[in-house]
Amino acid sequence: MKRSIWKKILLFVAALFVFLYIVAPFSWVVITSLMSETEASSVPPHWIPDNPTLKNYALFVTGGKGGEAAKTSDAWSPQSVKRLPIAFRNSSIVAISVALLNLSMGAPAAYALARLRFRGSNLMLMGYLFSRMLPGLSLIIPMYLIIRKLGLLDTLPGLVLPYTALTLPFTIWILRSYFMTIPRELEDAAKVDRCNWFNMMWRVFLPVAAPGLVASAMFSFMASWKEFLFALIFSSSMAAKTVPVIVAEFNDPQVVPRTIMNASGVVAVIPPLLLAVLFQRLIIQGLVAGSVKG
Amino acid sequence: MREVLRLVTQNGVHKKTAKGFSFLRPDEPGFAFLLNAPAVLLILLLVAYPMVHSVWLSLHNYHLKRPGRFPFVGLANYLKVLSSPEFWNAAKITAVFASSSILGVVLLGALLALILNESFPGRGILRALVLLPWAMPPIVNALMWVWIFDGRLGAFNGLLYSLGIIDSYRVWLSNPVISLPIVIFAHVWNHVPFAAIVILAALQAIPVELYDAAKVDRAGVLQTFRHVTLPWLWQAITIVLILETMTAMRVFDEVYMMTAGGPGSATTVLAWLTYQTAFLTLDFGLGNTYSVILSIVTTVLTVLYIAVLSRRGDIQA
Repeated sequence: MKRSIWKKILLFVAALFVFLYIVAPFSWVVITSLMSETEASSVPPHWIPDNPTLKNYALFVTGGKGGEAAKTSDAWSPQSVKRLPIAFRNSSIVAISVALLNLSMGAPAAYALARLRFRGSNLMLMGYLFSRMLPGLSLIIPMYLIIRKLGLLDTLPGLVLPYTALTLPFTIWILRSYFMTIPRELEDAAKVDRCNWFNMMWRVFLPVAAPGLVASAMFSFMASWKEFLFALIFSSSMAAKTVPVIVAEFNDPQVVPRTIMNASGVVAVIPPLLLAVLFQRLIIQGLVAGSVKG
Repeated sequence: MREVLRLVTQNGVHKKTAKGFSFLRPDEPGFAFLLNAPAVLLILLLVAYPMVHSVWLSLHNYHLKRPGRFPFVGLANYLKVLSSPEFWNAAKITAVFASSSILGVVLLGALLALILNESFPGRGILRALVLLPWAMPPIVNALMWVWIFDGRLGAFNGLLYSLGIIDSYRVWLSNPVISLPIVIFAHVWNHVPFAAIVILAALQAIPVELYDAAKVDRAGVLQTFRHVTLPWLWQAITIVLILETMTAMRVFDEVYMMTAGGPGSATTVLAWLTYQTAFLTLDFGLGNTYSVILSIVTTVLTVLYIAVLSRRGDIQA
């Protein structure tokens, strides 16, 4: 009896530590983003803001002219804050396109690998697995040359294509493992009803596979949203710069004050975090299936 | 064998009945290739071809600042790299970075998984919160730690100062001894959730009867862990190890954002050296040499990974 109480206390303390480890660092970013610049400059820091404000976030829309931001001593360029919304739009277009392309190219491939027995299927599977493992960095120079040849440098398609190629193997991998959990009887029943294959897929199979499809779309969306290196090298203007590129540019007090840098970090986390919260169960299943089950 | 028989009979029957566009039928082998064609073509163009092209470029002198000149030099770039102290320094830093961050990720991940596997009030919330570091883009993760370790205003300084551990603020990230450990710490924070999730799933797959049996045998906590829990975790841990090694070997975002390879070359990992050589000095030939070396190391790891997976029987090879 006594032992179980000690165990409970120990567990509580451990859980508290885990909570702090996970939550404390990011809360500091959020807290700073709600401060005025003067308050964020206090030594030692204010752990709780005196007058929390959303002004830093409003600046992304209105630009940095006037107001408190203009009065600060740092000679930062007020208009640069307006780049974040444009980058947000770019990132959204890229990530959504990559997710849709992944589904339309990945689902048929995964179906073939899960259901149809054909010569070379194992080889193909290994090929996908292998290409998933190659570091993006070792492909980036020749890919840069290809994208340049196609005239797609500094355009959104110039990011969508490489991202799709890099995420597709993982999509096929987890879709295949999801498809294999769907009972075959489903398609047999459709066959008896003299449904042709395309009808069967569209009306019967894909709706049943929806959770797997959503999960894989989400993984490719998130991977594109988080990606930095390719975006850094393939983009040179606001025509194609994505959120991580702009956030990296903001890491300089000469460009924007630290409060705004932190606000940009919070904005950049919102979409993936929202997806992670909404689809928690699917993500956890997908991560496990994608790495272990195969 | 049964599969082969099934294939043979299926094809045999099929050849008698199929007419016209037979490759559009799901039981025709060509159909499976057709379904894979878009994915395969894209990957061939943007992954396989670049891989080969990268090797080809590494055998040439190719400098963007000297356009028009593209002499074949054989293995000269490789000899140059393998005899340069820069490369060996970067290799050493990458090895230190990889080994310590992998150790951190696996140990912390396993610890987290063990805690989250127990039942306590608020477990559901904590399990959801674990996804926060995972969802965070590496660049934002780096930004967060840059701000925390800021030399002028950072929370880390503030905390140590308030606790009386230091008597004045210090610059952490430009300290050659501390900068690498900080980047490692940041990387670990970002990757622990993945390890925790995969190991937690393995923990949940352990049959309860085994723990009951251990109880009957009056096994202690540690004994139960060693003889019941750990054997069930090895597979998951091995896979996390290999996948995390690959991510750690190619770490770039955190280095770019937090230290730019410095101070001096204290955090110049291979990925940063490659980026610097190719895109700042514009030496594409030498840059490719670095990246080919990186791919070779990764390939060895991939083969290992596939071996682990197929030993489990997950891939029918």
